[in-house]
Amino acid sequence: MFSVIFSGGIRGMEAYLVRVEVDLSRGLPGFELVGSVSGEVKEAKERVQIALKNAGVSLPVARITVNLSPANIKKEGTGYDLPIATGLIICMENIEAAQFAMTAFLGELTLNGEIKRVNGVLPAALALKKQGIERMVIPKENVGECRKVPGMEIVGLEHITELITYLKATEEERKLRVVQKEENVTAHGKADVDFSEVCGQETAKRAAEVAAAGFHHIMFAGPPGAGKTMIAERIPGLLPPLTQKEKLEVSSIYSIVGKLQNGQELVDRRPFIAPHHTISPQALAGGGRIPRPGLLSLAHRGILFLDEMPEFSSDVLEVLRQPMEAKKVQIARSQGIYTYPADFMLVCAMNPCPCGYYPDKNKCNCSETDIRRYLGRISGPILDRIDIVTEASPVTIQDFHQKHTGETTGTIRKRVMAARKLQKIRYQGTSYHFNGELSGREVEKFCPLGSKEQKFLEQVAENGQMSARAYHKVVKLARTIADLAGEEVIGTNHLAEAVCYNSGRKRFWN
Amino acid sequence: MANKKEINSSILQMNASDTQTGEWDNLQPYAYWLGNINGVGRATAKKLLEVFASPMEVYSAGEKALSQVVNSTVAEAIIEAQKQEIRAPHEALLEKNIRFIPFYHPDYSKRLQDIPDAPYALYVKGELPADDKRSVAIVGARNCSAYGRYVAETFAKELARQDIQIVSGLAAGVDGLAQNAAIEAGGQTYGVLGCGVDICYPAYHKPLYEKVIESGGMISTYPPGRQPQPVLFPPRNRIISGLSDVVLVVEARKKSGTLITVDMALEQGREVYVVPGRITDRLSDGCNNLLRQGAGAALSPEQFMQELEETVWREEGEKTRTDKTSASQKNPNISNIKSSFNAKLQTSNLLPQEKALLALLDFYPISLDQIYMTAQTTPILCELTLSQMMEMLLMLSMQGFVNNEGGYYMLKKPV
Repeated sequence: MFSVIFSGGIRGMEAYLVRVEVDLSRGLPGFELVGSVSGEVKEAKERVQIALKNAGVSLPVARITVNLSPANIKKEGTGYDLPIATGLIICMENIEAAQFAMTAFLGELTLNGEIKRVNGVLPAALALKKQGIERMVIPKENVGECRKVPGMEIVGLEHITELITYLKATEEERKLRVVQKEENVTAHGKADVDFSEVCGQETAKRAAEVAAAGFHHIMFAGPPGAGKTMIAERIPGLLPPLTQKEKLEVSSIYSIVGKLQNGQELVDRRPFIAPHHTISPQALAGGGRIPRPGLLSLAHRGILFLDEMPEFSSDVLEVLRQPMEAKKVQIARSQGIYTYPADFMLVCAMNPCPCGYYPDKNKCNCSETDIRRYLGRISGPILDRIDIVTEASPVTIQDFHQKHTGETTGTIRKRVMAARKLQKIRYQGTSYHFNGELSGREVEKFCPLGSKEQKFLEQVAENGQMSARAYHKVVKLARTIADLAGEEVIGTNHLAEAVCYNSGRKRFWN
Repeated sequence: MANKKEINSSILQMNASDTQTGEWDNLQPYAYWLGNINGVGRATAKKLLEVFASPMEVYSAGEKALSQVVNSTVAEAIIEAQKQEIRAPHEALLEKNIRFIPFYHPDYSKRLQDIPDAPYALYVKGELPADDKRSVAIVGARNCSAYGRYVAETFAKELARQDIQIVSGLAAGVDGLAQNAAIEAGGQTYGVLGCGVDICYPAYHKPLYEKVIESGGMISTYPPGRQPQPVLFPPRNRIISGLSDVVLVVEARKKSGTLITVDMALEQGREVYVVPGRITDRLSDGCNNLLRQGAGAALSPEQFMQELEETVWREEGEKTRTDKTSASQKNPNISNIKSSFNAKLQTSNLLPQEKALLALLDFYPISLDQIYMTAQTTPILCELTLSQMMEMLLMLSMQGFVNNEGGYYMLKKPV
């Protein structure tokens, strides 16, 4: 007896179709699993046999051979348990395998026959759909993430006995098992935070607004307790909600690393990733013998927040450089190059000096050398990629007493959305989306200045209020500020504000 | 040996007038040798020269003669050192453009000769402060505030314009700022280092280091190549005060290295003046304490110079008058000094809103947020948005009224 069943394998962000071929033949009884399988796939042999036995199916006394094709790609993970079991059942029960030519199976088995969740089901579903697969039989716990994949029917199973019933049923009966797309969506995630809860900090809030509107990387410098983290946590709320396409993109990454737990549906909030400063370069960028996406990719389409930035090791910070430019992480291995998306907005926070209270000389006693050394940990190239350096000033008691008159996230988001709309029109037909992505020549192309404004900037630079290398940054920031104001032309007032967001930078490069 | 006989009296009794320069030059390598023997310090070297006629005598003295002056360990060290090559090290020194000036040398500072425990020798790159010119030391916190920066620069500039030499330690903060301002005003300034004169400390003061050498000189009691160490700095403060007539303190914390300079100055009989600060300001605690203990208060460059004219520099003035007969030449007319210190800024061209905004600022850095909050309670400014205020502040910065230090704003000059 021979059967072919389909399944999916993950390599980097890509998924590929795997043929699971099962053959039962006479001969010395045994169980052979071939097809470039890794350790955990090899263990499927034991899991499948025992799970079937415990479900009341005893394996025939025969020579069993299972081949995972294409046999030249290394198979990883535990998702092949279910397709192997399926293949065996089909062979033993003499079921017509052709019925399942458009179905892919993916899932892990426990010894008592339960079907457990596996990582990477979402990207597998997205990729297999392109290969002509129309239905996927997956663990029930994975249903949430895949349900929204357009054009893919999803069947969620909990136990191997259900699988047997499913395989033996008629097509009409099987169809009934397909999950309804409209079924209730359970909301996940913590309660919303709102900008109106931030006391004072008008400058930092405004800077956050500008950053969110133009996708500018931003740095907050300020004393401990000023609310840098508080503001950073609220920036995702300023960004427009994820589109369906973005949701699938982000969720695929989360699926691969197994972050979609407990039947969670797609990731529907912009990610906010805040690694601790002891993180290793590999954990940040992704890596490992079998590469896995790192936190940079988990922050894709969201915020990467680096608190206490100078405390990060320089190796870690330098890792940021290439992804910030290319918007993806590439990891080279002997088997090939793995690419993970990493299009995030960098938000970082730092103290202005080792003790944190500079320039309040009554509290700060750091010597100039100490401060230089501390600030020097952030290298020029990294700083070059950060458009806004703003101060979060110390919070006073009066700030708390002031009524919560601050704007809500919703109000600010309206302005941000309007500014983003203008950018969408501006960058139609180009590879850009936001002002923050521009560099050098493109700034001059998309953000032209009038002669008066040009002259104004020159004066500012001559006066020493702005360094020459900040020129393009200032212009694209001014473009975003003008967009926020809904104005077509960049004015000197927009430029002046942009210059202010760059004044913090002077301290680093003096 | 022929040379030895020519010097019949001790070098300490010689005057510049009755010796030819060539003879001083001949002795220089020996003086340098004596100053660099391990175990022979300032006191020992001087004691030796009281007995032996010159450093050359010490170089050729036997162990027996030496033992009568110093203990046996030191004598042995000297005997050991006598085996060294004598001329090459000194020539290497000259090649680096560093002068070695022992305490008996006519070029040695008269001011220093008067202080207790005057150093055996000075290493100088450039010049020493002239003995016949007035000299003021400006010292203070390394980590000074904008107020300290402004005061140090203004005083240094005004004093330098009156041809007063500024002595300081080239340190970060007040020291360096004062020296820089003095150079910009075209004056002379002298740096005293806690390391070899060929080492610039702090390293980022390299441009200033070069300029100070050009304008005046770099001075140290430590041999070239000596790296800066914390223990070397208090003794160098002694030289700073020793080379000046008055020590002016701008900003010092309660426990500050500057106070060592003050102690040294008092020990040496130098006047101490202090720039007062706010009592809530930790950076002025040391200064205010000194005031309480009776130090002179420096309230403006004019008042400071006027008072010195009446006290420290009066005798000297009288002396000069008899010498040169013309009093006006020596006494600058201090009341005519056009100091920017008390002159208010010309704000008449500013808009009312800009004036009101300036009034919110201070010499202490205030964050944009704080300015914005205060502005909202000020009638004329409450309508301003944050962006408008940023623009206005940028304009004021460009016109030189305001300093922007990374998001914090402060006044550049009194309004």
